[in-house]
Amino acid sequence: MDATYIALAQMAVGGGLMGMAYALVAYGFQLTYAAGKAVNFGQGELVMLGAFAGISLAGTGLPYWVSVLGAMVAGAALGWLVERVAVRLALKQHNEGWILLTIIVGLFALSSVENIWGREDRAFPAPWPTGALDIFGISVTWPELAIAAGALGIMTLVELAKRYTMAGIAVQAVSADPEAAELCGVRSRSAISLSWAVSGAAAAFAGTVLGPVTTVGPTMAAALTLKAFSVAVVAGLDSGFGLLIAGIALGAAENLSGYVLGSGWREAPGLILLILALAIRPQGVFGKKIIRKV
Amino acid sequence: MLNVENLHAGYSGDDAVRGISLQVAEGSCVALVGANGAGKSTLVKALCGLLIPRSGRVSFDGKEITGLPASEVARRGLCLCPEGRRVFGPLTVEENLLLGAYPRLPSFGPFRRAASSDLKHIYGMFSRLGERRLQQAGSLSGGEQQMLAIGRVLMAKPRFMVLDEPSMGLAPVVVKEVFEAIRTLHASGMTILLSEQFARIALAISDRAYIIERGSVVLEGPSKELAKNPGVMAAYLG
Ligand SMILES: Nc1ncnc2c1ncn2[C@@H]1O[C@H](COP(=O)(O)OP(=O)(O)OP(=O)(O)O)[C@@H](O)[C@H]1O
Ligand SMILES: [Mg+2]
Repeated sequence: MDATYIALAQMAVGGGLMGMAYALVAYGFQLTYAAGKAVNFGQGELVMLGAFAGISLAGTGLPYWVSVLGAMVAGAALGWLVERVAVRLALKQHNEGWILLTIIVGLFALSSVENIWGREDRAFPAPWPTGALDIFGISVTWPELAIAAGALGIMTLVELAKRYTMAGIAVQAVSADPEAAELCGVRSRSAISLSWAVSGAAAAFAGTVLGPVTTVGPTMAAALTLKAFSVAVVAGLDSGFGLLIAGIALGAAENLSGYVLGSGWREAPGLILLILALAIRPQGVFGKKIIRKV
Repeated sequence: MLNVENLHAGYSGDDAVRGISLQVAEGSCVALVGANGAGKSTLVKALCGLLIPRSGRVSFDGKEITGLPASEVARRGLCLCPEGRRVFGPLTVEENLLLGAYPRLPSFGPFRRAASSDLKHIYGMFSRLGERRLQQAGSLSGGEQQMLAIGRVLMAKPRFMVLDEPSMGLAPVVVKEVFEAIRTLHASGMTILLSEQFARIALAISDRAYIIERGSVVLEGPSKELAKNPGVMAAYLG
């Protein structure tokens, strides 16, 4: 095979693996949207906070896995908190103020991070081997594989929990018909809180697997929110499989445009995708339903 | 067992329920009869916590439940089978039934084992639900969905069942079947409040009835006597 094609394939594969992290963050949008018809516009800040929490926990000498778990617990708590302080209030008043409120909470998180951890990018320590694997002439690094395995693993785990635990079935019932779920004795607010906590944990986890590849800093947050948002808009908010495809495609497109057009163009595909999607669906990403009270 | 005093409730505009009082004794079957838009659904929603009453009092078992959230009212054993059935379409028949028993099943433990004898009981009552237990509820016929909605309420082991227009949108043969099931439940001792447009079938099955017009009770009494009242039968054919 021609060396150029190999290089392009190499770029596409590396980007696609990264893109699975975007899919995981977008999956967090899907979870909270299904249960409560709202999403966290500060989700990227949760990814960043998860990554910083992981770095700090690992810095105290805790084993890698324990730090990742700790970051996820922190992410779950923060996701839960965002719903409590920003979303619930606005939906109670039947308005879309939650969009602005989640952005504000995100900005607050961002400045807290800058005050606690500083503005410098940091490396995320991970126990993976440094070498790369050779798969049909394309080299894949261990941290990249960890992103793919982690994203698939978390999404599979959550999907299984939705089907095979009573709590998961109750969350699905709340998505389908919150009033009928209440009539069954399901406290729909708790189900919504649970989905926000899981969404936050997924975002924090994404931070811990992205960190070893991209380094961790305050600038990652806004970019990740946008990318995950593009993925969610393109794939729709009801299919986890669609998110994976869209995430992989976006990651690959970013890497390829960076390679072909120059590194300044890396961010272009995500933005173009978002603009296209918004142009094609002018009624808004979520349609009218988003205004509806839960 | 259920005592409603001077209840007012409604949506954005005027009250749709204007000062209704009613009583349901333990073990009885009481019907709410009224035309389209009379306010029956608004009344039962306000009883069961789906709608917060503007004023008035609802007490169940001597304890006030006015304005409690629907999930808490259901957990006390006052369970509504809502108008239009409201089964969870994307979930399976069995998952719908399991949700009925949600408060007493383990959230993360082996819930199917905990519910297996109750499921068997429901499948014994409604054999078609058993045959379709792994099918999506949305794919059932209207009559089957109504059976499922009733089965889901029974899974809660309610002490008081409120049924809102169980005949809605069903073919006459299927309506007969549904009311046969309700009659059997009543005979086995269940306390029932039944809201229904069709006076004849509602009065035939109930012990007492309230006739509702434009949000108020206009007539009440034993169903046998109301059924003989020519005015009632003329106003609410069926
Ligand atoms: N969600 C709603 N929002 C606003 N108004 C409503 C709503 N639901 C019902 N209404 C109005 O409240 C009044 C009472 O309606 P309700 O549904 O309680 O009547 P009903 O006796 O149950 O009638 P039906 O036999 O059609 O079910 C009607 O005038 C109706 O238009
Ligand atoms: Mg009605």
